[in-house]
Amino acid sequence: MNHKWDVIIGLEIHAQLNTKSKLFSGDANRFGDEPNVNISALTVGLPGSLPVLNKEAVRKAIRFGLATQGQVQLWSRFDRKSYFYPDCPRNYQITQYEFPIVRGGHVVALVDGNEKAFSIHCVQLEDDAGMLKHFSSFAGVDFNRAGVPLIEIVSKPCMSSAKEAVAYAMAVRSILEYLDVSDCNMEEGSLRFDVNVSVRPQGETAFRNKIEIKNMNSFSNLEQAVAHEIERQIALYEQNPNEDPGQIVPQATFRWDPQLGKTVLMRTKENAEDYRYFPEPDLLPLVLQQEEIDAEQERLPELPLEKERRFVREFGLSAQQSCFFTMDRRTADYFEQVVEHCSYPKLVANWLAVEFTGRLKDQGKMIWNSGILPVHIAELIGMIQEKRITGKMAKTIADDMVANPGLSPRKIVEQTAAYRPFQDLEQLQVIVQEVVREHPEVVQEVLAGRDRKFAYLVGQVMKRTQGSALPDDVNRLLRTAIECAQY
Amino acid sequence: METLSACTLHHRFVSGAISAKEIVQNLLHHIKQYDSKIGAYLLVLESDLYAQADYLDEKRQRGGRLGILAGVPFAIKDNMHVKGHITTCGSKFLTNFVAPFDATVVRRIKEEDGFVVGKTNLDEFAMGSSCENSALQVTRNPWNLDLVPGGSSGGSAAAVAASMASIGLGSDTGGSIRLPAAFCGISALKPTYGRISRFGLVAFGSSLDQIGPMAYDCDDIELAMQALGVHCERDSTSLPGESFVPVSFEAKFGQGMRVGVPWQFLEALPLESRKVFDETIAHLKEMGGHIVDVDLSILKYALAVYYILGTAELSTNLARFDGIRYGLRSERAGNLDEVYDFSREEGFGDEVKRRILLGTFVLSSGYQDAYYKQAQKVRRIIIDKFAEAFRACDFVAMPVSTGAAFPFGAKKDPLSMYLEDIYTVGANLAGLPALTIPSGHLEDGRPLGVQLVAPQRHDAEIISVGKQFQQRTNYHKRRPNFQRGGLS
Repeated sequence: MNHKWDVIIGLEIHAQLNTKSKLFSGDANRFGDEPNVNISALTVGLPGSLPVLNKEAVRKAIRFGLATQGQVQLWSRFDRKSYFYPDCPRNYQITQYEFPIVRGGHVVALVDGNEKAFSIHCVQLEDDAGMLKHFSSFAGVDFNRAGVPLIEIVSKPCMSSAKEAVAYAMAVRSILEYLDVSDCNMEEGSLRFDVNVSVRPQGETAFRNKIEIKNMNSFSNLEQAVAHEIERQIALYEQNPNEDPGQIVPQATFRWDPQLGKTVLMRTKENAEDYRYFPEPDLLPLVLQQEEIDAEQERLPELPLEKERRFVREFGLSAQQSCFFTMDRRTADYFEQVVEHCSYPKLVANWLAVEFTGRLKDQGKMIWNSGILPVHIAELIGMIQEKRITGKMAKTIADDMVANPGLSPRKIVEQTAAYRPFQDLEQLQVIVQEVVREHPEVVQEVLAGRDRKFAYLVGQVMKRTQGSALPDDVNRLLRTAIECAQY
Repeated sequence: METLSACTLHHRFVSGAISAKEIVQNLLHHIKQYDSKIGAYLLVLESDLYAQADYLDEKRQRGGRLGILAGVPFAIKDNMHVKGHITTCGSKFLTNFVAPFDATVVRRIKEEDGFVVGKTNLDEFAMGSSCENSALQVTRNPWNLDLVPGGSSGGSAAAVAASMASIGLGSDTGGSIRLPAAFCGISALKPTYGRISRFGLVAFGSSLDQIGPMAYDCDDIELAMQALGVHCERDSTSLPGESFVPVSFEAKFGQGMRVGVPWQFLEALPLESRKVFDETIAHLKEMGGHIVDVDLSILKYALAVYYILGTAELSTNLARFDGIRYGLRSERAGNLDEVYDFSREEGFGDEVKRRILLGTFVLSSGYQDAYYKQAQKVRRIIIDKFAEAFRACDFVAMPVSTGAAFPFGAKKDPLSMYLEDIYTVGANLAGLPALTIPSGHLEDGRPLGVQLVAPQRHDAEIISVGKQFQQRTNYHKRRPNFQRGGLS
């Protein structure tokens, strides 16, 4: 039997907030330091220490809630979540279980070129754990990360494919970056995903058991893990059509092993931890004033979706092209800086998205951190439009710009003979005459009004000048020559 | 040394009648003479005291500004941090734990030129009512060495009662300041929740814990509160706004006062304790008190609520004692789970383990609704019932306990020990200030105490009542007889 399958995916995104200090202490929130330098009594859970809430972290959580049209709660609360592990210094995490700071909201992402809205269930403020490092005969704990503020963004089970999960996750990342709420540095683990996946035959109304896959820190891991898990569940159900589905896929937690390319079982439901949540007595409930929320709303920047729509409207880009630029605020800013100096936004989009992005890929760089000045991109496109250089030349100039960032394309052209266009008009005249002489029948067709054939003749001239002739010169001389040929 | 009244000592030092060095010498001499029998101190900071004395004498001589606690010796319960010294919490688990910072209360004592004499014994992690749960030492009641001093702040109470400190700091989660104060015949305040910073206090039940002063009389309590009752930004539950400010009895209650008594709740009080309590009521009437019957029968559930909420909180507060970063790590442990299991097995005493188990149970999924959440609801009702009572009265008067100090080993059943706190836990659950003052003695000489429980932030008001009470009575002036009964 071959069912069609519904796929149900929910995502929990942990985003480290880029505050100066930790969520409940004044210790620095900084990645990459020597182990155990950004720690104080609270961070290592010494007795007698007490948490004091970082207002900046609260402000950032509010910003995310507002940016996703969630309801920022005037009253929320912290809870203790108990579990023993050496990276958890108090052996309980301070999180928001019952009364999160934001409820609801949604994120619009582009899936196959179409906008799709994904619902957020809630956003919780909580502190991060430390990190375990394993050595040959022992393990060490680095508490620098312990206490770093996180928001956990819990989606509704609203995604139906790995592609959608990634699109949603990328849209969330864009929003976090636009808001300056998180650095979203994937390599440093400042954005991590837990995903819940279940499948059911189309038409079935009840949910089947879900599988949780924890702690992925790249979009490709997320995509592979989800795709793998969907396949695994469908295969299991299809191989055992007459068995109780609840037995075939028991509820469990896995982790994704990128080396093996598969999920690895961490624990089954029977062994699930009892976190014994209860209200954190060392902190007062978090009470917000509507005025501070409103003030934060006023300060929101243009968000990725608004910018994406504006680029389409204002610059005539396609939705996908626009999304390419607006996904990353710095790329979008760069685009706008180029357009400020150049009145051909669609050309700018093409050159940035195709030519420069392709060239920078090998260096692992983006256009905004390439060192190339936006005004130089504008200059290059200007020279093409002014017919000062040919398109072919422009591409090699782009190579030079990538190799020597900071160098103006005008300078490059001035300094390199090969980039100077064919400027000897007498010589060009001779070539034009030759082409006209050698293609009498084409000339006749042009004269008969088939102007398309004119381009063929231009091509012939360009070929003989190795593309260095300026199109304007070629056009002008060729027109004259053809007119003369009439007589 | 007769008594060590903090106010008297402070004035004598400031006026030059006694030097700081003399205070320290007398004190250390007295401690050496008596503490081997009493066992109040776990640690005496002798060299720190001499250094502090030199500093103070020099400062006074050159006319420097002297703090409001200048010359006043403090005994610190050993669950509060004094930087550079071990905080044991009376537990084997922490006998190697050196505090890396001063508790806010200790910082305030130092800022106001008080003496930090040493660290006093307690029931392990402040869990107990007799001080018998200390894993480190036995502390005896200065009134009769065969009796317990009460707990959990038994060391501080005994130190003050035996004149080995002017003021003792205790912590009170369910009665741990008031019970030993009553058992040792001294005055003490469990302030409004949040009035004194908990920063640097090793937590037991975070929503119930409150540090407070234990002293010879209410003048000393008031002095201590002026130094300690200040907002602290390192404790999120610290009361915002104004610091503690004393009020005068005349201004507040000169025109009379309404004293609430929950007669129904006191029906089980033994006859001889009832006699002493009735005397107290008579005194309060003479002071202009109108006695009002208030209904606090809800308090019959207080102990059950307390043992659910308190243990729930402590089960997580004590989770950090895992043998990984500090404290005891079992030599037997061969892997991570064994580090946890064996270290906690070896480091904690029976009562602590019992309460961790209880707290873990009441929070477990499947039981949380029946226990923890139900208890939260009853706590809310207790708060409401107190608020209702305070509409009819200015404060409530109650005994501190059903009886006086008892002999060592008398309460072997944990439940009978828990019942010692029957009258005290209500104030913790509702976050109310409760002042304990000596209110009489049984025929065998054992002291009893009465407590005055007021609305939140009315700490100064009940202290003013206590001061007035002590101007009219002499109960607080009776001291354990060092030559005869007490230390013989």
